[in-house]
Amino acid sequence: MNLKVHDRFEETFTVSDHIYEGFISMFRDKNPLHTDERFAIEQGFNGRVMHGNILNGFLSYFIGECLPVKNVIIHTQSIQFKNPIYLNNKVFFEGVVTNIFESVNAIEFKFSFKNEQLKEVAKGKIQIGLLI
Amino acid sequence: MEFNEILERVQDVFRDVLENEDIVLTSQTTANDVEDWDSLNHIQLVVAIEKDFKIRFTSHEIQSWKNVGKMVDCIVKKKA
Repeated sequence: MNLKVHDRFEETFTVSDHIYEGFISMFRDKNPLHTDERFAIEQGFNGRVMHGNILNGFLSYFIGECLPVKNVIIHTQSIQFKNPIYLNNKVFFEGVVTNIFESVNAIEFKFSFKNEQLKEVAKGKIQIGLLI
Repeated sequence: MEFNEILERVQDVFRDVLENEDIVLTSQTTANDVEDWDSLNHIQLVVAIEKDFKIRFTSHEIQSWKNVGKMVDCIVKKKA
């Protein structure tokens, strides 16, 4: 196994127009919090709040493309959303290996996403399996 | 830790992971006896047991388990 506990990975993502429009186009979540600037501001936000599940797309990219192994599958994941993200925000991702279960070829990570002010926007855990 | 004490704790883990409070484990219980104990849930059960008991199994140990009793025997040895 190429990974060990405390291994750390970092990525930077941008919630671009392309991603935002693509998400809405694919999943059709046009809730006004995400699409109506005025509505979102009335709810106390600074503008349209990006869909939290866009971050799950970044997580998928991390697991599928950024690890030193490609024979991976996601077993479980959990995420808590802490703060809003807005269009064109950069988010800084950090994933750390917290547990390795060699008996069943499973690896657990904790992860967080921070905004440009280094405020946590989401955090969680993800467990992957290595396919043999 | 004694066999029955561990069996009870393993049962709690099974109930939690498989979200079924009706699960009752005995030494003779196998995957065929427990609804939803499939290969993917087996991974989650092993992970949860390793975390709960703060132990690590080997793949060889896991493959040698023929029933819950053998699993508990293995935990007993590690906790001795």
